Formats: sequence, structure tokens, C-alpha cells
Amino acid sequence: MTLGSLAIKNVNRNRLRTVLTVLGVAVAVLSFVMLRTVLDAWNSAAEYAAQDRLATWHKVTFVMPLPKRYVDVVRAVPGVKKATYLNWFGAKHPTRDSEFFANMAVDTETFFDVYTDMVVPPEQLAAWKADRQGAIIGKNLAKQFGWNVGDEVTLTGTIYTGDWKFRIRGIYTASRRSVDQAQFLFHWDYMNESLPEGWRDKIGWITSNIEHESKGPEISAAIDKKFDDRDIQVQTMSERALNSQFVGAASAILTALDVVSIVILAIMMLILGNTIAMGVRERTREYGVLLALGFQPGHIVRFIIGESMFIGFLGGLTGLALSYPIVQQGLGRFLEENMGSWFPYFRIPVPVAVAAVVLAIGLALFAALIPAWRASKLDAVDALRRLG
Amino acid sequence: MSETEHIIKLKGINKTFTRGKERLEVLSDLDLNIPKGAFEALMGPSGSGKTTLLNLIAGLDRPTKGSLEVAGQDISKLSDGQLSKWRSSHIGFIFQHFNLIPVLTAQENVELPLLLTKLPAAERKTRAATALRVVGLEDRMDHRPNQLSGGQEQRVGVARAIVHDPTIIVADEPTGELDRQSADEILGLLEKLNKEFDKTILMVTHDPAAAERATLIRKLDKGQLA
Repeated sequence: MTLGSLAIKNVNRNRLRTVLTVLGVAVAVLSFVMLRTVLDAWNSAAEYAAQDRLATWHKVTFVMPLPKRYVDVVRAVPGVKKATYLNWFGAKHPTRDSEFFANMAVDTETFFDVYTDMVVPPEQLAAWKADRQGAIIGKNLAKQFGWNVGDEVTLTGTIYTGDWKFRIRGIYTASRRSVDQAQFLFHWDYMNESLPEGWRDKIGWITSNIEHESKGPEISAAIDKKFDDRDIQVQTMSERALNSQFVGAASAILTALDVVSIVILAIMMLILGNTIAMGVRERTREYGVLLALGFQPGHIVRFIIGESMFIGFLGGLTGLALSYPIVQQGLGRFLEENMGSWFPYFRIPVPVAVAAVVLAIGLALFAALIPAWRASKLDAVDALRRLG
Repeated sequence: MSETEHIIKLKGINKTFTRGKERLEVLSDLDLNIPKGAFEALMGPSGSGKTTLLNLIAGLDRPTKGSLEVAGQDISKLSDGQLSKWRSSHIGFIFQHFNLIPVLTAQENVELPLLLTKLPAAERKTRAATALRVVGLEDRMDHRPNQLSGGQEQRVGVARAIVHDPTIIVADEPTGELDRQSADEILGLLEKLNKEFDKTILMVTHDPAAAERATLIRKLDKGQLA
């Protein structure tokens, strides 16, 4: 036995209370991890978005189209390496129309040259390019609807009405965590040729790769300038800046989540503080015995703080053990598969996991300070007179 | 017996407690000398100051006035920290209510005072086992207090009081919670510690039969020795 093990043995004294306290801390840790993971996942769309990729769209609004010929103008701007174009298609699954996923008509020749963080096996890419009705889908979407390569699928158009038939020719994965792996990509030509005359040769936006991310602002300005004297002007910004704007729009929600995660920590501290205070009150006489035997107030303080930190550690570990199956495997998988556009990468960040345990231990220490301080002020004779 | 042979020397001891506005003098102008190797019983009615006197001698409390020399040290002049260290090496406590730590085994309870020494863990364990053997509980080392009878609990208490080889053992009503047979066993142990191990023992008791086992009975009344 050591002084440290003596502190830890006290955890065993009232098992039901310890178990309930550990579970209380664990639930708080679980909630904390969940909220911080939501915040991280939300921010990661901006944080991990490409900075060397620019998006150019109609200056008035994203939903107004651009003439297809604008792509060639953008490709000619110095600093632009490659450019591609795409249209938001907005179709839905015919029977599961409440399950949102991004579906877009893209230029088959250039799309994956620009979106290099979407990885498709070469043979699947070739098959897709060769099939006018071919589609490439993200692996999460494939899982969500149970689609496989070779399947024929029909989507119901909302912007471009009617039933649209496709063949799944490939499944892409992501090499960057901000990439939505639940997209449905098909030939822009297939869509364009199916439209009435007046709707044709219009694109939703242009995406371009640039030589270096540091030149993003000046190349964006150069692109915008090219169209200043045209009927339709454009607005260009990096993918990261675009995502940051989106995240910024939700800042009130993010701030609220931040506050709630702090409130949860405060609740965790109160749970621990209450348990420790009860334990100290019940053990006053034992502390008197220890003081009589020659233990010093500092020893008593260390016993109490050590016990509290051990409970915090157990609660933190239990909370983390619950978090991985619930937050990462359960909620995370569900969100990635069903809300991949909002949460393309929903995993518990290692710093959040570490912070959760460290905070549980740290707050346990903090919660024990007042009971420990009061116990250190005990007089041995008075303590020995206490009952119990 | 010369004065230098006294292990406990109290002179002009006063102890006053303040409860609100009331001052209560528990011990007044008390002189007491106890020789090394004595086994003395302290008797007296409730409130006579027996436990207060015991606490002063054990260094748990400080006198309001007077000099207090125990085991060759004027303990009234020690700081709180020094007094804790002094207690850990010179005093062995036996309590009326046993006061064992419920989450520790008998051996761990006995080992407690040794945690304050620099002895290695194996040596601490060996000494705790030896102390338990002295009190006849070598077969109950791994039992927790709730798995022991009252008499066995108090024997663990005695083992805890002797494990660090203190100069003086103070016992406050050591048989107060025990039946006659268990009380006799504990008193037998105290006699053994006194005679075979030459321990100085000061015992507070209400029980005349227990006091009879001591070599000297002192009576305290209204804060003064009769």
C-alpha cells in the first residue's frame, strides 16, 4: 500500500455512489465530445476546404446561371491551371425524397482533373466517361441507398423535371476530409441535350485550379475583372472562403453549442464536487484518526484531491469509451451517410478526446479544492469526536 | 525514582476551552510524572478531563498554560507539523471505537502509520504482519473491518498502535465497546506489551476491572488529580 493507493481505495468505499458519479461524469463527457465533434465537423468543411481551388458564379446570386463560354475565358486567366463547370441538378430519389444528397451535372473531361481530392479507380472513370448516362457516386451515397456499380437508377427532377435514368459507373472516395462523399455526378452533356433550346449551354458555376493558393485573391480579382464589362458579371472566391462564409452564417448556432459544452463541464464539476463533499463529511472522523497517527493536513488534501481526480479519470475514460460507439460509429456514420453535405467528416478529433479526459480530471481536481481545504482545517480532537 | 526517569512530565498544566462566551477550565494547575515502562490507568467521572489530559500527553492538543515534556521533548513548543511528526514516531493510539479504515484490510490498517516512514513497501508489510501476529490475528490479515468481530477489530487497533514501535501507547477507553471476554483479551495484550515489550501505557477507562489490570490507577476529578 502507498499513499496514492490509499486515496484510490477510497473510491471503493461506496460503490453505488462511485458508479453513479462516474456515470454522471461519463454522460457529461459524452455530451461534451458530441458537441465538440459537431463543432469540429462543421468547421472542418471550411478548415480543410481547398485554398487552391476557386469558385466563380453569377454576381447576383448562386442560383442564376452563367453562359458556358465563360469557362474558356476563365481558363485563359494567368495563374489558372485548369477549370471545369457544373450545374446543381437538385433531383431526388423517387421513393426516398426526404433524403437529401447533392447531385450535379459535371463536365466529364475536366471535373476530376480539378477535383483531385475525389478519387475514382481509373477503369471506373473510363467507363463513366464512355457512358452518356453514367454516374459516379460517393461511397456514402452508395451505402445510403445500397447502390452498386452497374445498377440502373432513376432520379426525379425538381429543377429539371421528369424522370432521369442513370447507370452507376463508379464510386469515388475522398482524400480530403472536407469532401462530401454523398454526391451524385453525371454527364453535363446528358442534361444539356435533354433541355429545351432556351435552357441549354448554361452552367451553374465554374471551378478552377490555380498555380498557388497564395495567389488566390489576385487571381479571383483577375477573373472577376474579365467580366466587368459583360452583361453578366461574376464573383470569385476560394473554396475555403466560400465555406467559411457558410460556416459564419451559422455562427449563432455554433456559439450556442460552445456555451452548452461549457455548461456541461460546469454540471460535471458540480456532480463531482457534491460526491466529494459528501464523502469528506462522512469521513471526518477517519481524517481525525489519520491526523492523530501523524498524517499532516497536506496528506488529507492529497487523499481527497487524488480520489476526486481518479473518479474524474474513470468518468472521462468511461465517457470516451461510450463516445466512440455512440458519437463516431453511430451518430457519425448516420450523419456522414445521410447528411454528408453538411457533415462530410464526422469523427471525434483526437484533441477533443484528449481534452475531454484532461478536463474531467482537471475539473475533478477543481471540484475537490473546497472540500479538501475544509478537511485540511480539521482539528484532530474535534474530528475524532464526530460520530460515524 | 529520580525525575530523569520520567517519560511524561507535566507541570502546572491548565487547559481552558471557550464555548461561545463561556470559558471552561477542564484542567487546572495539574502536575503529573509518569515513569518509563509504567502501565497507568486514568479514571474519573465524565467531564473530569481524562481525555483532555490524554490528548495533551499524546500531542493532539496544546495546554493553555504549563510545561509538557513527553519522551524527552517539550512538545508545547513544537509547530503543528513538528508535532505531527513527533506523534508519528512516539505515540501509539488505541481508540474506543477502534477507528479502522473500512476500505483497508487488517494488514493495510496496521501498515498506515508506517506510510509516514521511509521504510520500503516490503518491510512495511512484514512489520504489519509481525504486529498482527503479536495480537494473534495472523490468520485475519486480509480481512476487512466488517469481516471481524469487535474484539478482533480492537486487536487490529492495538497492532496499529505498536507497529511503528512508539515510545508511549495511549488508550482511550480501549474496552468501552467490547464484551467482557474481548475486553479481557485486549487488557491481556496491553499487559503483554507493557511487560514483554516495555511499553509505557496510559489508559483512560471507566471500567474498574480494566483499571485493576494497570500497575497504577490515577483518579481525576474536576480537572485535578485526586
